[in-house]
Amino acid sequence: MKRLTDIICVFRIQLMSMRKEAGPFFLAALLFPAAMYLFARAVSGAEAASEQNRLRFLAGSIVFSLSLTSISWLGYLLLENRFTGRLKLFATLPLAPSSYIMGILVFAFAQAILGTTALILIGRAFGVHMQPNILMLGLVVMLTVLCLCGFGAIIAARARSFTEGSILTDALGVGLVFVAPVYYTTDSMPHGLQAISQLLPTAFAARAVETTLTGGYQVREPLLALGLMAIATLTLGFRLTKWRED
Amino acid sequence: MITEESLQLKPQRQGVNQVLPSALAVRTRGLVKRYKDGTVANRGIDLEVRRGELISILGPNGAGKTTFLRQVTTELRPSSGSVEIFGVDAIAAPRRAKQMMGITPQEAGLFESLTVEEHFQLFARLKNLSGAEARAAAAEVIESLGLSAEARKRISTLSGGQRRRILIGLALLGHPPLLVLDEPTTGLDPSSRRGVWGVIRRTVTDGAAVILSTHYIEEAERLSDRIGIIAQGRLIAFGTLDELLGRLERSYRLSYLDQLDPFGNICVCYFASFTEARAHAGREQLSEYSIARASLEDVYFTLTGERFAKGETEA
Repeated sequence: MKRLTDIICVFRIQLMSMRKEAGPFFLAALLFPAAMYLFARAVSGAEAASEQNRLRFLAGSIVFSLSLTSISWLGYLLLENRFTGRLKLFATLPLAPSSYIMGILVFAFAQAILGTTALILIGRAFGVHMQPNILMLGLVVMLTVLCLCGFGAIIAARARSFTEGSILTDALGVGLVFVAPVYYTTDSMPHGLQAISQLLPTAFAARAVETTLTGGYQVREPLLALGLMAIATLTLGFRLTKWRED
Repeated sequence: MITEESLQLKPQRQGVNQVLPSALAVRTRGLVKRYKDGTVANRGIDLEVRRGELISILGPNGAGKTTFLRQVTTELRPSSGSVEIFGVDAIAAPRRAKQMMGITPQEAGLFESLTVEEHFQLFARLKNLSGAEARAAAAEVIESLGLSAEARKRISTLSGGQRRRILIGLALLGHPPLLVLDEPTTGLDPSSRRGVWGVIRRTVTDGAAVILSTHYIEEAERLSDRIGIIAQGRLIAFGTLDELLGRLERSYRLSYLDQLDPFGNICVCYFASFTEARAHAGREQLSEYSIARASLEDVYFTLTGERFAKGETEA
């Protein structure tokens, strides 16, 4: 019960402290991916007419939004807390570091749900035909956020400065989308990258989101991969986030 | 093996009246901090703080005061030695120890967009107070620290002194039986400082133990039951004001203006008796001088080897 209260309090603190910036944060998580969807459609020319490609672009944009939310924005929050001394304030309390990260994760979930819903509505407005399997899509989004948040937490815990951390979270948030077969197929990638890129969490996420957008539920393999990656990155993120200095 | 869970965290809402495992609030033994680069910040500090007692820690910059307090608050793991908070091993069970502490770090950031009231209420909840208790605790702290006019203001609109008072208030929430305050009044104007002194003293009267570090000798003199002086990572003196004054062999202080000094510095000399001091003034044909009993400041400068004014000597 105490842990749940702690998580909710940390979430509320983050939510209330973002009151002024909530608009730009949400816009940023929506605007870039929505623009990328339009860009991908435009540059793919005749291929954009294919329903399958439109769906891939939309799935890619959702993954892009999740990546920005989970790595770039969440990383930014964790870095800000660490380098402005707010983390020190939390450390004075009988609060577990994992409760603190979970509180921030809830904040990332809220952003992810908003961003994904908005992008689905945008997709519909642009004529993408889909029948999302909401339950499975929710599960995919949750595991993707957990996995990617782990990266944000690791960077925020290890960065030597705010600037270094921001650069790394931004680079990873965008990079993981563009070096993976998210907007384009694996065949169109350089040979050296093809095998590795398929193992990236964003590749699994894109595949799973695309399947669930068409109402499918054959996402066991990507879910398992995302789940394992989430356990690995979050465990490391929790271990590295310490109240106590050695 | 002791784990956080096995110790069953006790809610902080019980405050100073909670049944505590030990009457001794803080007990450190052989506390050492050696950093990876070889710097030794603390070299074996032994200290005991009782309930209902206020201890001040004085010392020059870099002497190891903050390192010591950070070890007590579990923020910094000691290289060796032990820390017990009301009998609880703070190194093995930091969260259990922090349940009994209110901490004001030397530097910490507040959330700029949150109001003063929101800060207190949310942090009170994190100290395991219920919603109603948190609201009551927030109102009480706001009132006692004179922040009523700022209660609904966002942190971004407040001055440095007001922010400092909020950090002190966060430590006071829930009446913890031990307060650890690292330079709590730094940056406060004289009036606010006195207000904070009153609040701190009241918590001690109510039965809490307080351990604070300060650069203000007057603060230590006025507030403390016992005073510790740390220099070069060692607790070089610890006792009541009278006990510390008793450590001076020459407890009379002669001060006079150095006529030959173009900068007009004050010269200070120490003597074993008033008569000796007056005789010295006569020999030097001083026309204006003062003789006083040595103060904590004199003890501090004598023990730490610091000299604050040119020409200060021991006679």
